[in-house]
Amino acid sequence: MTVTFPQKGLPWLLLLPQLLVTAIFFLWPAEQALEQAFYQEDAFGLSREFVGLENFIDLFTDPLYYQSMLTTLLFSFSVAIFGMSAALLLAVMADRVIRGKLAYQTLLIWPYAVAPALAGVLWWILFDPSMGPIALWLESAGVDWNHYLNGNQAMILVVIASTWKQISYNFLFFLAGLQAVPRSLIEAASIDGASPFKRFWTIVFPLLSPTTFFLLVVNLVYAFFETFGVIDATTKGGPGQSTTTLVYKVFEDGFIGLDLGGSAAQSVVLMGIVGLMTVIQFRFIERKVQYS
Amino acid sequence: MTDVVLENVGKTYPNGYHAIPSVDLSIEEGEFIVLVGPSGCGKSTLLRMVAGLESISEGELRIRGERMNEKEPAERDIAMVFQNYALYPHMTVYANMAYGLKNRGVPKNQIEEKVTHVADMLGLTELLQRKPGQLSGGQRQRVAMGRAMVRDPKVFLFDEPLSNLDAKLRVQMRVEIRQLQRKLGTTTLYVTHDQVEAMTLADRLVVLNKGKAEQIGTPMDIYNQPATPFVAAFIGSPSMNLIDANVTEQGVKISDAVTLPLSHEHRGEVVWGIRPEHLVVCDEKNADFALRIQAVESLGAETLIHGVIDEKSGKNEPMVVRLAGPHLPDINSLIWLTAPVQHWHLFDAKTQQRL
Repeated sequence: MTVTFPQKGLPWLLLLPQLLVTAIFFLWPAEQALEQAFYQEDAFGLSREFVGLENFIDLFTDPLYYQSMLTTLLFSFSVAIFGMSAALLLAVMADRVIRGKLAYQTLLIWPYAVAPALAGVLWWILFDPSMGPIALWLESAGVDWNHYLNGNQAMILVVIASTWKQISYNFLFFLAGLQAVPRSLIEAASIDGASPFKRFWTIVFPLLSPTTFFLLVVNLVYAFFETFGVIDATTKGGPGQSTTTLVYKVFEDGFIGLDLGGSAAQSVVLMGIVGLMTVIQFRFIERKVQYS
Repeated sequence: MTDVVLENVGKTYPNGYHAIPSVDLSIEEGEFIVLVGPSGCGKSTLLRMVAGLESISEGELRIRGERMNEKEPAERDIAMVFQNYALYPHMTVYANMAYGLKNRGVPKNQIEEKVTHVADMLGLTELLQRKPGQLSGGQRQRVAMGRAMVRDPKVFLFDEPLSNLDAKLRVQMRVEIRQLQRKLGTTTLYVTHDQVEAMTLADRLVVLNKGKAEQIGTPMDIYNQPATPFVAAFIGSPSMNLIDANVTEQGVKISDAVTLPLSHEHRGEVVWGIRPEHLVVCDEKNADFALRIQAVESLGAETLIHGVIDEKSGKNEPMVVRLAGPHLPDINSLIWLTAPVQHWHLFDAKTQQRL
């Protein structure tokens, strides 16, 4: 549908609020970061010097940066895979619930409304080595839990905290996807002699693939870019570099290390990654399975 | 040999709704049984109970003498064709047809042999590598049938399989289904709301009304001797003319002005019926009653005349007459009709049973 306006100015006026938000909170900072990435600035912001690609060269010759990249990949895929598996399991069970369906579904959606930092604090308390109930329980089970000292445990903690927050979102999409699978297909498969387990893997799961693929991209983007709050509240990127993801490293190098140029160069790399993921999402998300 | 037996089979839903009170039916091997009735009469529920997709609340279902109530759908050795075909959209036609065999652990070369054989029989050979989304409605219907046939089950179940097709294809597929069933000799239970489909396909018909089998019989038995006014009205197109009447010494009094002579020992209120094709146009002096014409439907091969009889008493009973060939009577004119006594149907008004 095309709407034509008599005045030329009105459409721009209507677009203005969104354009302003985009300009002030995205375009301007992005431009600043892009510019900053080519400068070296002193810690007090009093002077700066054009250094060309030096910030980028430093970045890509720094083994810590590659380490952080690996950490990010491990973290992101763990969050996506655990979050999606758990959500799918819950959705399959919720789909079968007949009594109290609404209450069950509502409760499952709640974690999504919890702010990332709060979610972090929540899990930080639960896993605190000296007083957290889960940590104490683990200790009594013979696991020596201390995520301040053990990098792997720190990683497990941030994965759990980040996954927990994302399960609700995944759950909603999987539930909708499951409900869109025609009942008669399941019935036909049961007449065709497929066990419930086989029905799920050969009929339902393939039909969910558009949803699964969409969620994979969304979850990776979430784990890459939106888990700063969770990490900051639980491990602060430590111990050592063991939970320093790329986004956390931008913050750490820029605001704690005060290497503004290096941090800006990392931001530019991240912007490139976001752009790439967006393209992937738009290119492949249209792939749909036809229900007949 | 009796193949499928339903003994006092009933369905009560958890909310207490008594969908099917009790149905008795025994189906011979190779028989084509059609369950027909208006929507909501429980015909699909009954079929799904035979399939094992709905639990059986009362009574017993036996296939080849074996009790089936507690068996899973897969263990009943039945195959079903769904109204929306229920083809697996992500699988090719070949994979759709092979799925049931694969689940049963049939060796690969046998699967291939069976699928190619059935595909050949149904003219699907060219389509085996396509996905359901790339097929026309008629082709999907055929694949759904192929999927059922390839397993060579004891019983075929059809749930309104033709209702999504256009009129021409429906007639074609109807003939094809009947021929295939004859050739394979597989016992078949077929659900439809379309009485033409029911009449043309069935060896025996089960006319269902509100979860009860009103009548079970061959299509011609049911056409000639409907057991209740419901069956009389449901089978036959256009419907039988049914009029509330009274049997007295003089005969059947269908209105204050019209009494048709009949000697019958029954006295009291009845439903009197005659099919539109059995009414005969005649001259005034031999007529039983006059019909005031309200509408004429000319179909070429036949003409349907809608009108009312018994204008004088103000009762204005609607009546339809079916005449062979084209006719063009004037609207609002009168025609004279007789109702030959051998074509009457009389039902007790209270018990609704045929007299």
